[in-house]
Amino acid sequence: MDFSLSQEQQIFQDSARRMLETECRFETRGPLIAKGSFDGDRWRAIAEMGWLGMALPEEHGGFGGGAIETALLMEEIGRVLMVEPVWAIAVLTAHALLASGDERALALLPRLVAGEVLPVLAHNEADAGGVTEHVATVATPTAQGGWRISGEKTLVVGGNIADRFLVSARTSGRTGDREGISLFLVAADAAGLRRQNVRLIDNRWAAHLLLENVQVDKADVIGRVGGAIDALDEAHAYGLLAACAEAIGVMDRALWITRDYLKVRKQFGTTLSSFQALQHRMSEMLIELELSRSMLHRALSLFHAGPEIRRQALAAAKVHIGRSGKFVCGQAIQLHGGIGVTEEYVIGHYFKRMTTIEHELGHSHFHLQRLAELEQRRGTPVAPLAARNAA
Amino acid sequence: MSSASALLEPRTAVPAEDALERYRLDARAWLAEHAPRFSGAVRRGLPLERDVALGRAWQALKAAHGYGAITLPKRYGGGGGTELQKIVFTEEELRYDLPVAYFSISLSNPVPIFLRHAPETFRQRLGPPAIRGEHIWCQLFSEPAAGSDLAALRLRAERQGDGWVLNGQKLWTSWAQIAQWGVIVTRTDPDVPKHAGLTYFFLDMRSPGISVRPIRRLVGHPDLNEVYFDNVYVPDEQRLGEVGGGFRVAIETLMIERYGITDETASSPALEALVELARRARLNGRPALADGEVRAAIARAYVERQGLRSIQKRAMEAIAAGREPGPEGAIRKLLLGRMRQQLGALALDLMGADGIRLDPQGESSRDFAHAWLDPSVRIAGGTDEVLLNTLAERVLGLPQDHRPDKGVPFRQLES
Ligand SMILES: Cc1cc2nc3c(=O)[nH]c(=O)nc-3n(C[C@H](O)[C@H](O)[C@H](O)COP(=O)(O)OP(=O)(O)OC[C@H]3O[C@@H](n4cnc5c(N)ncnc54)[C@H](O)[C@@H]3O)c2cc1C
Repeated sequence: MDFSLSQEQQIFQDSARRMLETECRFETRGPLIAKGSFDGDRWRAIAEMGWLGMALPEEHGGFGGGAIETALLMEEIGRVLMVEPVWAIAVLTAHALLASGDERALALLPRLVAGEVLPVLAHNEADAGGVTEHVATVATPTAQGGWRISGEKTLVVGGNIADRFLVSARTSGRTGDREGISLFLVAADAAGLRRQNVRLIDNRWAAHLLLENVQVDKADVIGRVGGAIDALDEAHAYGLLAACAEAIGVMDRALWITRDYLKVRKQFGTTLSSFQALQHRMSEMLIELELSRSMLHRALSLFHAGPEIRRQALAAAKVHIGRSGKFVCGQAIQLHGGIGVTEEYVIGHYFKRMTTIEHELGHSHFHLQRLAELEQRRGTPVAPLAARNAA
Repeated sequence: MSSASALLEPRTAVPAEDALERYRLDARAWLAEHAPRFSGAVRRGLPLERDVALGRAWQALKAAHGYGAITLPKRYGGGGGTELQKIVFTEEELRYDLPVAYFSISLSNPVPIFLRHAPETFRQRLGPPAIRGEHIWCQLFSEPAAGSDLAALRLRAERQGDGWVLNGQKLWTSWAQIAQWGVIVTRTDPDVPKHAGLTYFFLDMRSPGISVRPIRRLVGHPDLNEVYFDNVYVPDEQRLGEVGGGFRVAIETLMIERYGITDETASSPALEALVELARRARLNGRPALADGEVRAAIARAYVERQGLRSIQKRAMEAIAAGREPGPEGAIRKLLLGRMRQQLGALALDLMGADGIRLDPQGESSRDFAHAWLDPSVRIAGGTDEVLLNTLAERVLGLPQDHRPDKGVPFRQLES
């Protein structure tokens, strides 16, 4: 299955690539990273390109695109290892806000798209491991009709620069229940909210949030009390799709940078590219990349085919991409030799980005398990996991 | 490396097995008494300088008890022991997280080759401080254009009076920044084919004209450097081997460790640590250890470890019987590198968020994230591909790849 892009999509992809290749040069990104991988002027420029609203409906300030546009942009972002939190804000958070259907949330979207506000979804918890309904943070009602939130959110990508958080908390039920999760809008400087910024291994930044009796009003609840899981599912579906697309961009560039290196690097009186052992290795990398790309296309084509099928397709893509990513980016280092393990040279950073993507919204192991469960539920006999793994 | 048949020979009894076992128990007791003061929590948070100082103190203590350089001659401060004793001691020592990395190259290759070939006065002067850890030696082989193809190196040495003047660059020199001495391969004759025009020296790293610049690694190990040579004078009496015989000495240097890494984890946390991690971690709301795939991966790693230990045992038996070990070393290094990466990946999955938040104090031997993000065991000391070539050529008797530079004077290759 292949996607023929519409003319607009092709133009979008070309302009994104041009802009990102000039703006996200590896050699000059040090100061940006030192500032928390964020710069107000650059963010406004990103907003002006329309990237923050590419997959949002026009009535909410977006540009009416969808999953395909999200994937196109994220693949380009992966190719240049962009460090800014586009994924966190324009994909995860924007889709959680949109899917909540809440008026306050929808009113926030045009400002998010314009780059005026920086809301970040604070959902992930230390023990979640990809389970969307894993919410241990609790919100208890106060006498004044508001809520008091306590808990911890971890690895909130982009959380270091957020001006407000969309915090998930449990208003009823137990950790892991699908019912009973609610979303709250919490100002970043709210009393009782402590944020600790962390630089991730791939030079993006995230925050660890500690909420201790953070008070919010009744009006800060986004969507129905206890009914946030659908919005979170939707956000995670877009988030997974985007992470997979980004990974394709990462692998693709790592592969071609390596191909180019083998063509110029000489040892034993000849270019490395003339060693057939290395040619074969590169072909294996290409096979993995193309299989992964097809898995992404499959997920894209099934994205609106209903929640169960979408979930299955996204899990399958994440599993495959996680595994090929380790191989492709790991071998990209190996084929570079010593230069591959240095911080100054770009190739190792593809490996690092791949490693963080593997940890976003559930790693390969998690999604493989989930797939097995989905299949089992559909009554399909499942091959023993060990046998699959050995294949 | 001899031949594959070495692998097939029946197990010979090791006569000195009891003595070796006694040696192991003594070493274990000695380590239990002394190692804790130099390892683990003591080292946490130490800046490089102080950790090196701790390492030197540890090395000095070892040397005073005959463990400093077990196989090197006693008259220079070594232990005068056997290769097997060294392997046994290293196995025991690796149970502790000691500051030994700074000496791993120094005492494995440069110092032994120096003690084999240098004039006696130099050996007496420089041997003991190296073995006591006062001096660290580095190995200046690789260059930008000479990695796997060592003989392609360009750094020039030209005659001047009673010595030589060196100009050029070395790359990937481990611990050059803390080294007092180094061994170096240079090009002295560019008009002959590449292997023939090399000459080997040892030199004082504080000689005028040497500058060392650090290279940052992906996970922040502070070991690698570039070293520049700008008219550096080296007296001819510091030559090791013949003029033009440098390649042979270089290969001899690399072969000294007949049986490379003795650490069965290739400097990553042990399999037991992974099992512990799987016990604590949760997958899909259940203990990770209950997951079929995790169990399968751990089981496979256990099986492979048995195989690796058996290979190790066979190599040790070969050494004990006075034979050259066969291809065990190369096979073992290849498999260890792969296993380290597979387990690193699995561990990172199990660690969740902790895996992508790098502990700046981490070290690959106790931190899975470091071990995963640092695949350099598969590159340093002979890449996987070069080892595979060696097995194909030396053991399987298959022909070498086409080498267009064979027999061509080096000068014609340089462009
Ligand atoms: C952590 C670390 C420490 C080091 N310490 C030292 C040190 O102290 N002193 C020192 O002198 N050097 C040191 N080195 C350098 C090391 O020896 C070289 O990196 C290594 O020999 C590979 O050379 P290279 O990096 O130039 O890669 P290249 O030789 O350019 O290799 C690039 C890729 O091509 C492959 N390749 C090369 N030739 C062939 C072939 N014929 N067939 C098939 N594939 C091939 C390689 O396997 C690799 O995948 C260190 C390296 C590292 C990573």
